[in-house]
Amino acid sequence: MSSGQSNTFEPLTLIEPFIEKKGGLMPALHALQEHLGYISKESIAELAIAFNYSQAEIIDVITFYDDFRTKPIGKNIIRICLAEACQSQNCKKLLKDISSQLNLTLDETNHDSGITLKEVFCLGNCAIGPSVMINETVIGEATTEKIINHLEEDGA
Amino acid sequence: MSKVIKIYIPNETSANSVGANMLHKTISNLIKEESVKIIRNGSWGAYWLEPFIEIEKDGVRTGASYRNIDLTHLKTIEDFFLDFEKKNPFDINEIDFIKNQNRIVFSRIGQQDPLDINYYRATKGYESLITALEIGHQETIDRIKSSGLTGRGGAAFPTGIKMQTVFDQDVSTKYLACNADEGDGGTFSDRLIMESDPFSLIEGMTIAAYAVGASKGYIYLRSEYPLAKDFLSNAIDIALKNNYLGENIQNTDFNFEIELRIGAGSYVCGEETAMMESIEGRRGLVRSKPPLPAINGLFGKPTLINNVVTLATIPALLSDQHSEFSKIGSNKSVGTMPFQLSGNIKNGGLIETRFDITLKEMIENYGSGTKSDKPLHAIQIGGPLGIYLSSNMLNTSLTIESLEELKGSVGHGGIIVFDDSVDMSEQAKFAMEFCVKESCGKCTPCRIGSVRGVEIIERLQKNKASKEDAILLEDLCETLESTSLCAMGGMTPNPIHSIINYFPNELIEK
Repeated sequence: MSSGQSNTFEPLTLIEPFIEKKGGLMPALHALQEHLGYISKESIAELAIAFNYSQAEIIDVITFYDDFRTKPIGKNIIRICLAEACQSQNCKKLLKDISSQLNLTLDETNHDSGITLKEVFCLGNCAIGPSVMINETVIGEATTEKIINHLEEDGA
Repeated sequence: MSKVIKIYIPNETSANSVGANMLHKTISNLIKEESVKIIRNGSWGAYWLEPFIEIEKDGVRTGASYRNIDLTHLKTIEDFFLDFEKKNPFDINEIDFIKNQNRIVFSRIGQQDPLDINYYRATKGYESLITALEIGHQETIDRIKSSGLTGRGGAAFPTGIKMQTVFDQDVSTKYLACNADEGDGGTFSDRLIMESDPFSLIEGMTIAAYAVGASKGYIYLRSEYPLAKDFLSNAIDIALKNNYLGENIQNTDFNFEIELRIGAGSYVCGEETAMMESIEGRRGLVRSKPPLPAINGLFGKPTLINNVVTLATIPALLSDQHSEFSKIGSNKSVGTMPFQLSGNIKNGGLIETRFDITLKEMIENYGSGTKSDKPLHAIQIGGPLGIYLSSNMLNTSLTIESLEELKGSVGHGGIIVFDDSVDMSEQAKFAMEFCVKESCGKCTPCRIGSVRGVEIIERLQKNKASKEDAILLEDLCETLESTSLCAMGGMTPNPIHSIINYFPNELIEK
């Protein structure tokens, strides 16, 4: 996901395709985050110039959306679904188990293991919950064991 | 040709979530002969069977569930065939869950590779677009009006009337926005269409755009659906190559392009005005209506906004399925509704059926009861803003009208089942917590009232008999209902009211 190196990173080249697009800020933010893993300070400055916004306005947009972040997080992001269908399948217990297993609370990153734990509200996998998403892979009937296995197989 | 053996292994989020991708890897490594071919089909939406693998041999197609089955020990493809036969494979069209449905909009899911445009065309795909281009704008809108279709996103507004409003605007630039921000907990019908029959959405959008006079369409897709993103981008490319999108579509003067926009984890962006703000590159704050988006929408232009299932229904309405669709049901509840049965249920999945079936039929006949085998206790209908019904209300019909009478709504068709381990006071608290997290912050009652709501419910959890808190909660709900701009604040009280009314003594002692 986040393969870019900040020292060779030029925000403008990533932003450029979206400047002339109507409402191009959202796709520009996605492109930046996909490259770097987060929206850096220098990116915010470039975005403000490119889209003719103040930096405060750019930050205003970034902070509204759960997906965007201004600091790097783990290489592997575990999103545990806490919406109603998964509640009926005991996702709260799963959250407790996975939290203690990984020694992480919600929205916390373990920089040694490179894992971030986050909550999500519905992955559309509601008939076979509880559901967890690791990066872009959804795991149905999720258990702590399945999650750990997946992380190991992916070489986390 | 007939000697080819086809193995169908679904490529769909839920099927993959229980191992379809892994099985695909294993099985494809076993295939050495050219006479065996793998097809990654969509899902049939019978999720308890996933990963459901099928084999088609000599024109006969049967399948079996490979849930929690490891095949890595197999050495040859013959080993797999032997293993498959031992699982008593059956024709999925013969099981009651599929047979009893009335699949019109979801007729193609599971059948073939969702990106196989030849299959799409062979099953009447794109015939309706050609029809629309022949009969013209007004006649296309009239047929949609006469079908009785109402929006399947939640508000159930008559689709044809909305289209007429956009068409009637004498403005040269108009937009179409497909709301694919399917954020309601317990819903996946939009996702299933996008992953397992994406051309039906693209064709529906193209017809709708032609009808109202729009030349640019957006799909606002939630970021939680990465596989749907892949399918849609590929399907858009294929449609372009085949002149079903782009310029001079099918040799007419109609031009239409679709741009895929990805959301960023905000539930409220599924509200149409917040969605427009997000597409325009801002915080997803709701706008006050009027002006209606149909008159003054995206970038200040008339905009037709519909959700995925509504748009994917349109092709059927311009074909000979029009009368089949419009003959089903009455009032606002006309046509088929794709219900999504989920949560603590044995046989969960996509159920496209008439509206007027009872909750009992849904849960017992389709769902086969709770997955835990414990007694049923509560059923939430219509997403996080939908009401909870108790286990003695199973005779409730699932029509828009019948749920409105109970102060609820069908919403986007999600039905979530809970067994008797559920704590209803926690569900009430979650309704408020969800509002705290997802409120866009524009209206004070929603932004701050929800925080107070959590606090009041927490106090009630300690003392159910507190008259003071019961009255306070009632007042708060009333304020949210009457002073919020959109459904987020306005409907958050719905689940709470239903818990107070239908689950006596579980939140408040009377």
